[in-house]
Amino acid sequence: MAEMVLEVRGLTVRREGVTAVENVSFALAAESDTALVGPNGAGKSTLVQALLGILPHQSGQVQVLGRPMGPQGQLPASVRAQLAYLPQTFTVRNRCPLSVADFVGLGWDPPGLQLPWHGSERRRQAVRQALAKTGCSDLADQLISELSGGQTKRVLLSFCVVRPRRLLVLDEAQAGLDSQAAEQFYGLLFDLRRSEGWTILQVSHDLEMVRRTCDGVLCLNRSLRCSGPPDHALSPAQLERVYGRGYVPYHHHHR
Amino acid sequence: MNDGVALGELLAQPFMQRALIGGLLTGALGGLLGSFAVLRQLSFFSDALGHSALLGITLGILLGLNPTLVLIPFAVLFALVVSRLVEHSRLPTDALLNIIYSSSLAIAVVALSFVRSYKGGIHQLLFGDILGISWLDLGLIVGLLLTAAAYLGLTRRDQILLTLDEPLAIARGVAVPLHRLLFIVLLAVVVAISIKAVGVLLISAFVVIPACASRLVSRHFDGYVVLAAALGAICAVLGLLLSGRFDLPSGPCVVIFQLVGFLVALAVAAPRNQMNTSSRG
Repeated sequence: MAEMVLEVRGLTVRREGVTAVENVSFALAAESDTALVGPNGAGKSTLVQALLGILPHQSGQVQVLGRPMGPQGQLPASVRAQLAYLPQTFTVRNRCPLSVADFVGLGWDPPGLQLPWHGSERRRQAVRQALAKTGCSDLADQLISELSGGQTKRVLLSFCVVRPRRLLVLDEAQAGLDSQAAEQFYGLLFDLRRSEGWTILQVSHDLEMVRRTCDGVLCLNRSLRCSGPPDHALSPAQLERVYGRGYVPYHHHHR
Repeated sequence: MNDGVALGELLAQPFMQRALIGGLLTGALGGLLGSFAVLRQLSFFSDALGHSALLGITLGILLGLNPTLVLIPFAVLFALVVSRLVEHSRLPTDALLNIIYSSSLAIAVVALSFVRSYKGGIHQLLFGDILGISWLDLGLIVGLLLTAAAYLGLTRRDQILLTLDEPLAIARGVAVPLHRLLFIVLLAVVVAISIKAVGVLLISAFVVIPACASRLVSRHFDGYVVLAAALGAICAVLGLLLSGRFDLPSGPCVVIFQLVGFLVALAVAAPRNQMNTSSRG
């Protein structure tokens, strides 16, 4: 039986007094690539944020790598270190004078008290390798505020790959990318998933990409409406259950 | 116009020496905290804290206690209540902060007008009187600078990640609520202690202007923080010398030098920004 990296049972999350996610249960097997789809306001980002401990959850259980998460999102540091998150937007970067190499280095360091010069040589080496893996070596000295949308996403992947991880959670990674940049990004993500052995959970509106690249799909509209392999979960009948009648699929027009 | 006092004569005075050391340390402290506060969009928050400090001082005078010692717990409590209010209010943050700081300033000024025994002038409170800085004030500033430098230095990576993107920091395991709380407390104490030197109306300039000037010309985070602290310290010393030489209010003199520093940074950064824009466009 495959190892379960993430197990969710009866999860309910309230946001600003409203139940945004209700009684959701699912599990992700090791090295699987699962898409979380659903209409706007379906609770996808809320679910992802609860799974990462960014939002508290009101009831239900979450287990990451076999360890339970507290209601306020508490996880042991050893488990937390194996999680990576790629946010939908990364807006504050424009005001911060931080180079790409320094930013990626932040993904290498464990949180907590540390002397500023601690582990600097090992960090530099890990950063060099991470940037090489994502094809970002030439961006090392550039400020993160100077990057294009596609470069930013690749640098965020470098941040994830700078240290071995087990679970990667992406919230609409294709947001802000044109079709060519999105295609390159997913190509890179696909390669890294194989080489790094990542288990992936990604929020997406691009059902064509989901159909082509993911092993499993979770269809959310506050509660989980259906799940399974893309052929089953993205059938017209199932999509109507999730998105409602008259649903027109979104196409990204990949080449 | 005052004819002025000879600079050598001025520097020989113990009160001026205390003022210069105090200014140097306060300026560095403002730049250090300001480099994070500006990036976290807390500039207006520090302004509101400064204005409300007058209420704390008034409270100290009414209770017959040392205003500086009353002001520290008052500023911390005030900062915590306000940050909680901002987090939970549906009103825009700037509007809410405006209500808070203008109301507290108004209450404080009205209350002060009833205190007959108050010897200090409202002018000194509003614009600062660093020449009146005591050894107790200096000790507090040194302790605070060491605490702030140690805290921000030892948690440097968590602080940068938190400044960049809070959800990303939480997902990495950074204790975001704790660091947010500690930073607000630190900022409140810095504002409370710097009030004597800078005055209620101009305290936010100490936090904001050196950091903004440094941001314009910096390409490395550590360099940005160090330059902000250095600019804060240098501008404070120059401003105090001007203030002492011509008997002008200390706070405004320092802020004028900060403005000069900011304009120089703007001039230095402009060609570079133009180059970056054209290479990206």
